[in-house]
Amino acid sequence: MAPLYNPFIHDDGKKPTCMEMLQLIVDNQATDEQRTYFKQHMDNCLPCYKKYNVDMAVSELLKEKCSGENCPDDLVAQIKSKIKMMNA
Amino acid sequence: MELEDAPRQHYTENEKQDIFNQEFMPHIHSMYNFGYRLTLDRDDAKDLVQDTYLKAYRFIESFQKGTNAKAWLFRILKNSFINDYRKRSKEPNKIDYQEVETYYNSEEVDRQITPDLRVESLKDMIGDEISNALNSLDVDFRTVIILCDLEGFKYEEMAKILDIPIGTVRSRLHRARNLLKEKLKSYAKSMGYNNA
Ligand SMILES: [Zn+2]
Repeated sequence: MAPLYNPFIHDDGKKPTCMEMLQLIVDNQATDEQRTYFKQHMDNCLPCYKKYNVDMAVSELLKEKCSGENCPDDLVAQIKSKIKMMNA
Repeated sequence: MELEDAPRQHYTENEKQDIFNQEFMPHIHSMYNFGYRLTLDRDDAKDLVQDTYLKAYRFIESFQKGTNAKAWLFRILKNSFINDYRKRSKEPNKIDYQEVETYYNSEEVDRQITPDLRVESLKDMIGDEISNALNSLDVDFRTVIILCDLEGFKYEEMAKILDIPIGTVRSRLHRARNLLKEKLKSYAKSMGYNNA
C-alpha cells in the first residue's frame, strides 16, 4: 500500500511521534483525516495499538462512571427564584 | 470568555431571561458534576453552582448571545472555586509542575513509569474504582480530565477556561492520564490481577 500523507505532520515539516499522534486521538482532538490515518498506523504499530485500547477503555469508563452527578431539583428552583428576586 | 473584557452587550430584561434559560440553564447538570468533582462535596458543589449562576446573571452583558456559553460558565465556576474554595482548604497547591513541553521527547522514561495496565482488568472495574482514582488526583490534574473526557472540550477551550497555554493543557492531560493509570493499576493488583 502506498504510504498515506501524514495529516499529523507539524507545520515545520517535522514528523510527529507515536505519542503525539496517540495523544490527539485519545484527547479527542483529532480530525477525521487524522483518525483514519491513525487506524492504519495501528495496524503496523503494536505499542500504539496497545496504548490506544487501554487509554480508550479508561476514557469510556470515566464517561460511564463519573458523569452521573445530576444537579438536585431544589437547587434549580432556588437559582430561578433568586434570579427573579434580582429582577424585582 | 473574560467576564469583563468582552464588549458589553445590551439586553432587555426579556432577553436576559431568555439567554439565562435557553443558553445557561441547559448546562446545569454538567456544571454540578464539575463542581462536585472539584470540591468532592455535594453541599459545596451546590453553593458553587449557585454562585456561578448568580454571577453569570449579574455579568450577563459580558456574554455575547449565541457564543460558547458552556465554556464561559465553566470558566466562572473554576474561578469561583479557586477564589472561594481552594483558599479555604489548608492544603497548599503543592505539585511541582515541570510543565515543560519537552515531555514529548520523554518516551523512554514514559515507558518505565506508565504502568502496563490491561483492558481486561479495566472490565472488572464496575464499582467506584475509577471514580476514586479520579478523585485521588490533584485537583489540577482532575480538572483537565473532567474537561476533556467528561465534557469534550477542545484544547483551545480548556486553555481559556483554565487560563493556561495550550501546551500546558496537553502536558497536564498527558501526566493526568499516566497518574490515573498508575492508580488503576494498583487497584487491579489488589483485585488479583497480578499481571495487570
Ligand atoms: Zn505508533
